[in-house]
Amino acid sequence: MRMPRLRPSTLSGRYARTAYLFLLPAILFFAFMFYLPIGNVVATSLRTGPQADQWAGFGNYAQALADPAVAHSFLVTLTFAVAEVIGSIVLGLALALALDQPLRGRVVFRVLLLVPYLTSVAIVGLLWRNILDPELGILNRVLMAAGLPGQQWLNTAPLLTIAAVTLWQSVGYTMVLFLAGLQGIPETYYEAAKIDGADAWRRFWRITLPLLAPTTLFVSVMAVISGLQAFGQAYIITNGGPGDATDLLVFHIFNVAFRTRDFGYSSAQSVLLLIVIVAFTVIQLRAGRRGEVTY
Amino acid sequence: MVRKSLLYGLLALASLVTVLPLLYMVSLSLQTEAETLSPDAVIWPESPQWGNYAELFTRAPFGNFIVNSLVVAGAITLAHLIFDPLVGYVFAKFRFPLRNTLFVALLATLMVPFFVRMIPLYVLMANMGWLDTYQGLITPFLMDAFGIFLMRQFIQPIPDDLISAARIDGASELAIYRRVILPQTRPALAVLALFTFVFQWNEFLWPLVATSTPEMRTIPVGLTLFNQEYFTLWHLTAAGSVILFVPTAVLFVLTQRYFVRGIALTGLK
Repeated sequence: MRMPRLRPSTLSGRYARTAYLFLLPAILFFAFMFYLPIGNVVATSLRTGPQADQWAGFGNYAQALADPAVAHSFLVTLTFAVAEVIGSIVLGLALALALDQPLRGRVVFRVLLLVPYLTSVAIVGLLWRNILDPELGILNRVLMAAGLPGQQWLNTAPLLTIAAVTLWQSVGYTMVLFLAGLQGIPETYYEAAKIDGADAWRRFWRITLPLLAPTTLFVSVMAVISGLQAFGQAYIITNGGPGDATDLLVFHIFNVAFRTRDFGYSSAQSVLLLIVIVAFTVIQLRAGRRGEVTY
Repeated sequence: MVRKSLLYGLLALASLVTVLPLLYMVSLSLQTEAETLSPDAVIWPESPQWGNYAELFTRAPFGNFIVNSLVVAGAITLAHLIFDPLVGYVFAKFRFPLRNTLFVALLATLMVPFFVRMIPLYVLMANMGWLDTYQGLITPFLMDAFGIFLMRQFIQPIPDDLISAARIDGASELAIYRRVILPQTRPALAVLALFTFVFQWNEFLWPLVATSTPEMRTIPVGLTLFNQEYFTLWHLTAAGSVILFVPTAVLFVLTQRYFVRGIALTGLK
């Protein structure tokens, strides 16, 4: 009996065919639902007119960079994202540190803190708009029943209020990320530090925080990315107002695209925001890599 | 001792802040219209108005919203379960020309937020006549790089020998995938299904852009636009919010371990 000779080239060729056959739906999907749209958004951003069919070159970009409404919206969005980053790190880490102790009922607390993460932005928006309403809202009704003055939350500090509401939803997620990071720090480091006489405060600054740096970096990257593309909060809670105080950029883009029907101009703004997001991510990752420590 | 009660105090306070608003949402959904408008602080309705839930269905096509949400989130989850592990398997275990290029092209899509695709997808769907249809709502989310990457990471440690042995036994490539690989990925598939379903169930921006008739709206969008139309009927908006929230809450309670592990996984490098 003659054994068939295994020829590696044809064999790998056959597997390559299988690989491509299996990949075919994915190649089509990412081509038509990602790469074609990305090409189209850039192409549209270079055009103008109600049908976005007249060549405009970089006109839309020049207009966007000179448009005070866009600059304001960008500033609003940046403030929102920074608030998200700081809030996520401070609150998420604090809760994770509390939950990392040998306490009874940890699982219950973890579940309770994570529950808002499951809600749609529609719930976050509608529920908090009701709770914070100056007259109807339960918060002011309780304050007034207690003899305290009611607050116009969404008038006096609208941007911080919607940032806080967003944190209400996301803090459980950040907490779980920090918890996983904390559990990755070997107990022996703490024991060694204790023997050396380091108090809890020093152990936190010298061991926990440096070794948690990769998690902190990931949390801040995620918070910036999601903060810069927040939409529902402005659409549902404030309608961008009062005035334009909460005119988050994606909400601004949405209005230019679907209310003003200027696809060229809104596409240019989308591309600019994408560039900002990618730049932020790259800068954060670079800075994070430089600050990384190992013991 | 003091330290411990301090910790408990902090955690209890934080839990109240996260949970009380949602409980208030339930209370609001059972109040009369008068109670929602009264200047007194109504913590719990005098007599729970279960009829609010029925009234919601007469004021808006809420049955449609529920069906639409189930169809869209269900179909997208199913597509992820079919495609993400298959593509992950190919990138984990096959050698073929352009493999690295394609993998980088796939991972690059992780950097593309949805708003970038929003306008061109709207134009594309409009040209195909797919606005206000299920296929229009579903197609943009059939797969994603994150799910594929997750499955690839999970499949990589499966020994190559298992695959070679099955090939020598004459199993077809599809059979190897279905009988050898897929059964080992079950825990990861559960996490993938859970996250995909919850995210799609809650998705807001695309259904808002891609639907125009009330009958095609999903719950988050239908509810928000209902609230814009009947902005004084807070008890009904709250009832709709409860309906939107309950399925994810039930899923979460049943699977919270998977859920927590899934989040921790997203934070791994």
